Amino acid sequence: MADLTHSQALAREVAAEERPAAVRTWNPSDGMLAFLFTLPTMALLIAIGVFPLIWSLYLSFTRYSVAKNVAPVWIGLQNYQRVLGNEDIWAVFVTTAKYVVMAVGAEFLLGFGVALLLNRAFPGRGLLTTLLLLPMMLSPVIAASFWKLMYEPEWGALNFYIKDLGFRPIEWLANQKISLISLAIVDAWQWTPFMLLISLAGLSAVPRYLYEAAEVDQASGWFKFRHITLPMVWPLLLIALIFRTMDAVRVFEYPRIMTADAEATQTIATRLYHYAFPEFNTGLSTAFAYIVLVMIIAMTNIYVRYLVRATSR
Amino acid sequence: MYDSTSTRVLRGTLIGLGLLLAALFFLFPIYWLVLASFKTKAEVISPTPLHLGMFTPHLDNFRDIFGLSSGQTEAGTPREYLGRLINSIIIAGGSTVAAVLLGTLTAWAMARFRIPGKSDIMFYILSTRMLPPVVIIIPVFLMYTRLGLTQSHFGLALLYTTINLPFVVWMMKGFFDEIPHEYEDAAMLDGYPRLQAFFKVTLPNAWPGIAATAVFCLIVAWNEYTFAFILNSDPVAQTVPSFIASKSQTSAGINWGVIAAMSTVFVLPVFIFTFLVRNHLLRGVTFGAVRR
Amino acid sequence: MANVTVEKMTKRFGDVVAVRDLDLRVEDHEFMVFLGPSGCGKTTTLRCISGLERPEQGTIRIGDVVVNRMSPAVRDIAMVFQFYALYPHKTAYENIAFPLQARRLPRDEIERRVTDVARVLHIEHLLQRRPRQLSGGEQQRVALGRAMVRRPKVFLMDEPLTNLDAKLRSEMRAELKRLQKDLNATTVYVTHDQVEAMSMGDRIAVMRQGQIEQIGTPDEVYNHPASLFVAGFVGSPAMNFLPAAYRDGASPTLTVADGAFTLPVEPEWAQRIRERATGSSFTFGIRSEDIALYTEPGADRIASEVYVMEPLGDVNLFDLRVGGHIIKAKTLPNFQLRIGDQVWMAPDHAKMHLFDAQTERAIF
Repeated sequence: MADLTHSQALAREVAAEERPAAVRTWNPSDGMLAFLFTLPTMALLIAIGVFPLIWSLYLSFTRYSVAKNVAPVWIGLQNYQRVLGNEDIWAVFVTTAKYVVMAVGAEFLLGFGVALLLNRAFPGRGLLTTLLLLPMMLSPVIAASFWKLMYEPEWGALNFYIKDLGFRPIEWLANQKISLISLAIVDAWQWTPFMLLISLAGLSAVPRYLYEAAEVDQASGWFKFRHITLPMVWPLLLIALIFRTMDAVRVFEYPRIMTADAEATQTIATRLYHYAFPEFNTGLSTAFAYIVLVMIIAMTNIYVRYLVRATSR
Repeated sequence: MYDSTSTRVLRGTLIGLGLLLAALFFLFPIYWLVLASFKTKAEVISPTPLHLGMFTPHLDNFRDIFGLSSGQTEAGTPREYLGRLINSIIIAGGSTVAAVLLGTLTAWAMARFRIPGKSDIMFYILSTRMLPPVVIIIPVFLMYTRLGLTQSHFGLALLYTTINLPFVVWMMKGFFDEIPHEYEDAAMLDGYPRLQAFFKVTLPNAWPGIAATAVFCLIVAWNEYTFAFILNSDPVAQTVPSFIASKSQTSAGINWGVIAAMSTVFVLPVFIFTFLVRNHLLRGVTFGAVRR
Repeated sequence: MANVTVEKMTKRFGDVVAVRDLDLRVEDHEFMVFLGPSGCGKTTTLRCISGLERPEQGTIRIGDVVVNRMSPAVRDIAMVFQFYALYPHKTAYENIAFPLQARRLPRDEIERRVTDVARVLHIEHLLQRRPRQLSGGEQQRVALGRAMVRRPKVFLMDEPLTNLDAKLRSEMRAELKRLQKDLNATTVYVTHDQVEAMSMGDRIAVMRQGQIEQIGTPDEVYNHPASLFVAGFVGSPAMNFLPAAYRDGASPTLTVADGAFTLPVEPEWAQRIRERATGSSFTFGIRSEDIALYTEPGADRIASEVYVMEPLGDVNLFDLRVGGHIIKAKTLPNFQLRIGDQVWMAPDHAKMHLFDAQTERAIF
C-alpha cells in the first residue's frame, strides 16, 4: 500500500484536472450568446438586403428606365395595374406553376427514393454518392446548353437512340405540348441531387437504437419506415422543399437558353427579364417582381406554418 | 441478418438495379459533357453521337484554356483562365466558410433559446431569398459602387455570404432542432458552461448537416453568374462563370469543345471538395454514448 | 415465460473477443443479473440473447427453442434500453402502444392493455406527453411500460437505472423487483452496480473479460466468492486483501500482512490449502464488517493504529494500519476513536477467505 498522504494529494490533483475549467475561460450567458450569434447574420442580411429591397420597391411605383438618364417619375400603382391587367401574365403564372409542380415533385420523389437506396453500407458508397451529386455542381447555363445539344431533334444524342429503338424522333423543345416537360426534366436532372443530399443527411441522423427498439418490438420494415424514419426526416425534407420551390419559381436559364422565350415556356423570370432589359422598363419589372414576391411570401407562409406544426413539441 | 439468402439476394439486386438506373440517368449527360471536352467543334455536333472509342480524343481544348497551344487560342492566355479559377476559389471558398460559420451559430441560437419574434426573424431571413436577382441587381450595383466594393474579392464574397446565409440558418436550425437538448443539459449538469457544451456535445453531432450545407453553399457561390457578371467584370477579380460566358461568343460560333473543357475543369474543385467530405455527409450519427 | 440457455457462445467484434465460450442458464421466472465492469461482455451477451447481435459460435435457446436464426421480432422478447430509446415524436401512450400497433391488435384491446400497464407504473397522468416533456424516471417507466405491454417470454434490461439520480435509482430498484415478482417474469438484467445486483437478483452472474467468474445467489456470491475478482467487486466497501504466507505443520499458520500477524489454521482449511494451492503465496481476505474492534489487547487480537475514521451515520468506517497495510473495519456509531489511537482487531475466523495468489481462485 502506498503512502496515503501522497496518494491523497495525487487524488486531489486529478480531481482538479477532471473538473471542467469553468472558472478559467470566458463564459457568456445564454442571452449574450443568443445576441452575439445572431448579430453578424442579421447585420449582413439587413445591410445588404434592406436597401436594395426598399429602393426597388420605390422604383416599382415610378416610371423609370436604367438605360435613360432621366430621373424616376412617380406614377403610383400604374405599373401594378399594367401587370395585373395583362392577360398574358396569368398564362405565365400558370406555366410557371405547372413547371414547378412537375420539376419539384420529381426531385422530391427521386431524391428521397435514391437516398433510401443509398442509406446502407456498401463499398464505394462515398464515391457513388459524390458522383450522383455532379449534375448539381454544374453551372445551370452549361447544363442548359448541353441538354439543348442532346435534345436536338436531328442529331442530338437522345433522339439518336430513340430512332435506333424504332420510335419516331421526339421534338423535345420545338413541340409546344411537351417543351415544358423537357425543361422540367433538365431541372429535375440538375436538382434531384439537392433533395438527395438533404434526404441522406436527414436519414443518417436517425439514431440507430430507435430502429433496434422497433426491431425488438416486432415492427415490420414498412412500420418502421412510417413511424420512425418519416417523422424524423420530414422536417428537413420540408425545408428542402421550401428552398427548392422558391428557386424553381425563379427559373430562368433553362427556358431562356433552351426555348428562347417560346410562348409555351414563358416563366415568371423570363418575363421579368423581358421587362427589365429589352424593354428597359425598370419600373414595370420591379412592380412585376413585387407581385411575384407577394405570391411567394403567401405560398411560403403555408409551407412554414405546416413545418412549424410538424415540428411542434 | 435474418432474412433467407434468397430474400437478401433479391433485395440486393433490386437496390443495385435502382442505383444503376439512377447512375445512368444522372451521369450520362456528365459523361457526354466530359467527352465533348476532348472533341473538336465538329465532332461535338456530329449527327452520330461519338462515344468513347469512336473518335480520337485530343487535348487541344485543354491546351487552349491554359494557353499551352501554339497559334490562335480561343480561351485566352494561361494567366487568364487560371487567374479566374483562383479568384473563384478565393471568393466561393471564403464566402462558404463565412456563411456556414455565421449561419450555424445563428441557427443554434435560434434552435436553443427563446428569442422574441423568432418566427418573424426566421421568416425575414427566408424572404431575402425570394426575389429574383434580376430585380435587385441594379440597386446592389449602385450601392456597391458607392461603397467601393465592386471589382473586389471581398465585395463579391460578402454578397455570396449574404445570399447563402438564409439557407444555412434554416438548414442547420432544422438539424439542431432534431438533436435533443438533453445532451447539452447533461454536459451543463457536469459543470460545462453552455458555450463549451455546444462545442463538445452538439457540434460533433451536427457534422452531416454542416457538410451538406457547405457543399451547397460552395456550389451556389461557385456557379453564380448574374452578380459576378455585373459586379466583377475586371480581370483582377473576375470569376470563371462570367469568364466562360464572355468567351463563348466567338466569330466562328460557339466552340462547344472549349466550353466543355472549361466546364469540366471548373467542376473539378467542387467535386474534389465534396469527395473529401463525403464521410461527413454520410456519417450515421449515433446518439447516446456507445459502450464506455 | 420461458427459460434462457446459452451454450458455448463466442462473440467477436473485429479482433476483439467480447464474449468467450460462455455457458449460462436462466431459469423460468428467474431474475438473473449480469454484473461486471464495462467491457466485460455483459451487454454483448444480452444483445446476443435479444438477437440484435449474432454470435460467431454457440447456441442460444429460449424456452428450449434454438433461436440463433431468428430475428429479434420473432424471439418474442422485450428490451429496456439504457437510454430508453423512446420514439421522440410519439406521446407516452403511443410509445407504449407501439409494439401492439406493430402487431395490428384491435384498438380497444390496445387501449385496455396500455392503460393497465400505465396504472401499474403510476404514469396514467403522463400518457399524453412527449418524451422530452418527461423526467428521467418517468421516461424510464414509459420504456418499461413499452416492454411490459407485450407480455413477452423474456425481459431483457440493459442498465436501465444507470442514468437516474441516486435517490430515484433506489426507488426504482425496489419497484422493478416488485414488478418482476408480480409478473413472475423471466428477466435478464445487466448492470455494473453491485448494489443493484445484490438487491434485485435471484442469481448473479459476475462477468469479467468475456467470461463468467461465478454464478450464484447474492448470498453465495457475497459470502462464498469463487475468485478474488468476485470478492473484490461485490460488497461495499470492498473486501480487505492482504498478502499471506502459509506454513504447514502440526499447527499450520498463516502469516499475514508480511508478518504483521499470524493466524492459526483449522485442520479442514489446512486440508483444502494442501489440495488446491498451486504455489505458496496467497491472498487473505476479510470483509470490513467481519472485523471486531477492541480498545484493549487480548488473545487473538491484533494491534493496529487508527489511520482515519469515517463516520457514515449508521456505521463508523475505520482505516486501520497493520504493519505496512491498511484495513477497513466497520463498527457501530458509538465506537469512537481518534487518529493515531491504538486499537485491537479480531477477524471473525468463520468469515475469513483465502485466495491462491496465482490463480486467484478461492480456497476458502
